[in-house]
Amino acid sequence: MSAAASQPGVIAGHSLEDWNSAYAVVDRYLEALRVRNRLLRGQLVSQILDRAIQRAEVESQHSTVALACEELDRLVTEWFAAVLDEPLDPGNTLLSSRGRLALLLADMPGKWQDQFLRPAPWPEEFVRAMRESFFRAGPDFQFSQMNPRPIDLGPITSLTNLGNIPYFRMLIAWLGFGLLLVIIFRMTH
Amino acid sequence: MNPETPLSPPTAVFSFSPAAESTAPRAGTARVFVFYSFAVLITSIGAVLFADLLWRVGWSPARIVLLVLFTILLFLSSIGCVHGIYGFVLRRFGDRHNITASPAYRNRSIAGTSTALVFPVYDEDPHRVCESLRSVYEAIAETGELERFDFFILSDSRQLATWIEEEECWFALTRQLNAFGRIFYRRRAENIGRKSGNIRDFLKAWGRRYRYFIVFDADSVMSGTTVLDLVRLMETHPTVGLIQTAPRIVNAHSAFARLQQFANRLYGPIFNAALGYWMQDGGNYWGHNAIIRTEPFMQLCDLPELPGRKPFGGQILSHDFVEAALLRKENWEVWFAGDLAGSYEENPPGIIENAQRDRRWSQGNLQHFMVLFARGLRGVSRMHLSLGILGYLSGPLWLLFLITSTYLIWFRKDTGLSTVVVGAFTPYLHLNAAHHALLVFLFCMVTLLLPKFLSVLDLACDRERRRAFGGVIRTTCSALVETIFSTLHAPIQMLFHTRFVAATLLGLEVRWNTQQRAASGTSWGEAWRQHWRHTFIGFGWGAFIWWIDPTVFWWFLPICLGLMLSIPLSVFTSSDRLGCALRRAGLLLTPEETVPAPQLVQMRARLEGKQRRFAGGDDALLAAIRDPYLNAIHVSLLREEKLSPQKLNGQAETLTRQLLDKGPAGLSAAERLQLASDPEAMAWLHREYWLRGAAVAG
Repeated sequence: MSAAASQPGVIAGHSLEDWNSAYAVVDRYLEALRVRNRLLRGQLVSQILDRAIQRAEVESQHSTVALACEELDRLVTEWFAAVLDEPLDPGNTLLSSRGRLALLLADMPGKWQDQFLRPAPWPEEFVRAMRESFFRAGPDFQFSQMNPRPIDLGPITSLTNLGNIPYFRMLIAWLGFGLLLVIIFRMTH
Repeated sequence: MNPETPLSPPTAVFSFSPAAESTAPRAGTARVFVFYSFAVLITSIGAVLFADLLWRVGWSPARIVLLVLFTILLFLSSIGCVHGIYGFVLRRFGDRHNITASPAYRNRSIAGTSTALVFPVYDEDPHRVCESLRSVYEAIAETGELERFDFFILSDSRQLATWIEEEECWFALTRQLNAFGRIFYRRRAENIGRKSGNIRDFLKAWGRRYRYFIVFDADSVMSGTTVLDLVRLMETHPTVGLIQTAPRIVNAHSAFARLQQFANRLYGPIFNAALGYWMQDGGNYWGHNAIIRTEPFMQLCDLPELPGRKPFGGQILSHDFVEAALLRKENWEVWFAGDLAGSYEENPPGIIENAQRDRRWSQGNLQHFMVLFARGLRGVSRMHLSLGILGYLSGPLWLLFLITSTYLIWFRKDTGLSTVVVGAFTPYLHLNAAHHALLVFLFCMVTLLLPKFLSVLDLACDRERRRAFGGVIRTTCSALVETIFSTLHAPIQMLFHTRFVAATLLGLEVRWNTQQRAASGTSWGEAWRQHWRHTFIGFGWGAFIWWIDPTVFWWFLPICLGLMLSIPLSVFTSSDRLGCALRRAGLLLTPEETVPAPQLVQMRARLEGKQRRFAGGDDALLAAIRDPYLNAIHVSLLREEKLSPQKLNGQAETLTRQLLDKGPAGLSAAERLQLASDPEAMAWLHREYWLRGAAVAG
């Protein structure tokens, strides 16, 4: 860390304990991004905290954690914009999620940990992997109309036209057979 | 985005007439007449014997009611019996009038076809769904025809934990298989129209891209060969609108599931053969493991709401039967390919879960009464609808029969009237009243048990199947175990069905809290909550009959015993331990257990040890905010959601503020779901979470 402490136990107007908290939060975020190599992670945290300390010297009203996180966010977003070749537009709130998705799809945690947050130039393969990394939840839409066709519920609503029921004759035949059995039964008892 | 286009001009419904172009082998509808007339004949013999018995002991209005109920119930068991007889004969001699009868379809090219495999899910275990999909994907990849298929997880999940985990599982799976652009995930913000609405929304967005689609259930799997066979069959027979396969029950562990699995695999083949025989091109659709021709389905099967109030009016719940009927109405053939192997599903693990499923199905099937007499439906479709309705009405009808019988016995004791036995219609049988009653009983038992006996006989005639089931002796013992269990289970199911039917008819909702399922199966507490009424009825009824006439008690014992033992039966049969013990004893073995398909083995192995990641909505929301990658996946999927994008607009600030102040627990489930549906809010929350360090409570 480049900034010198103005007094013992204090860096840029904040206690060492406060900077330790800031370190932990940044470290946790990088860990969440699966930057698992401790050396690389340590270097990145130092880089981010250096920027935070510089700001703390002039913005003493902000907490160390807030400063460090803002610097982390700024650095990551700037880096995403550069790698993905997208404009760094403050209104582009989804650039960060696009970048994180690209990191995952390009397998940064597995293959490119050392490139994360490094300044250009980056390996061609890494840049291509990042820029081509996006997924689609579905193929192109090809909208069609589907309209429910009314079902004529027939006798259930009118209860008038039972004779049109298919197999009606079969049912009548069975009923006739049943009736025959009843008649025989009655005659023999 | 393309503008919405109608499928075809309203006047010209189809580009060709399915009826004129039919190529599938068909037999006449005379089969239905002969088949069911056989059942009527068996019923009439039993009914006459029973009427004669009642005559001997004296007519009364209650006895007429008893005879009517007996006749209806015997007709239903006769239908099963005829299925057994026909199926046994058909499996010996074959049936040329079957869509799979000619193997020529196997040489049919599927070049130029496009098929979507859709997995509609509703709060299912995402790991299970994704492993099913992976299994089918890999099976199709092995055939070398993968490029003709796309896969869709169509989520209707309402629980935030399930939704987030689905996204995570889908992403992991698609990444592992390098299948972006082949396996898709879509979640609906509103689950309008339930499963049929889910499919309809898929078809409206993407249906035109696919000539066919195959519907899967959350727990269903199909082999690559079967999937290809289905497409080839559809290509061979352009007039076929739908082909339903017969899913084999697999992956059962608990005793209950293994009993059902065994019954499905032993008795299934002869029933399927008989079903295929009489259904022919007028088959049915069971909602999954079926291939559907997209265009006619889109034109004909967008179901309207039924007039009137619930439970009969409103949305058609069991849509599948009606969809098949509507296709058939417009001359599209609906076939049952019962002999296509490689179609699998799973069974509920216990009696309670099984009843939960029945509860949903009972209302849907009873609602079919509204459609039963719809104009233009084919007779065979009405037959399917009727059988579905009767399947659930048989429970209350049986209960009425038993109550009427009990009343008659009590009436005799109460009045002190002696039974005067007169001459019978069947004097040549030389039977006294007791023997006559025994004859009626045996007749009923034969109609019930003959299909089981014929299934074992069918197995004995087939060396390969015999070996796959562990031999004839083991199979016979297993069939005995299954018969004893189903005898005890039947009265429990009767009371469950009666409750469901009564609730449906009265327009009431059957309350059913989420089950507290222990690792070892149904807990005693849960079993008590669901079965205490059954137990009391069993003991009360048994004691009452004993008090009236101890000799009659023994006739009622199987029914009372099932009810008395309902709690332990539910607990023990839901246990995996008992299921394993039965397996170790060589009982209830099925071919998929003795010679498991590698596809299923791999799927089971991959599912080993996989557990749900999130305990609840709080956990899931926090993870989707905190985890940089999960947040990115979630936000990206929300941005892809063009069908029903969710924007919180004015509410966003309130909800996010509430979340940041109080943590996820400070929001209601609906609010959490709302918040998680807004991509901008979720992206902002991720940034804010980390900017605040550990500001958000865990």
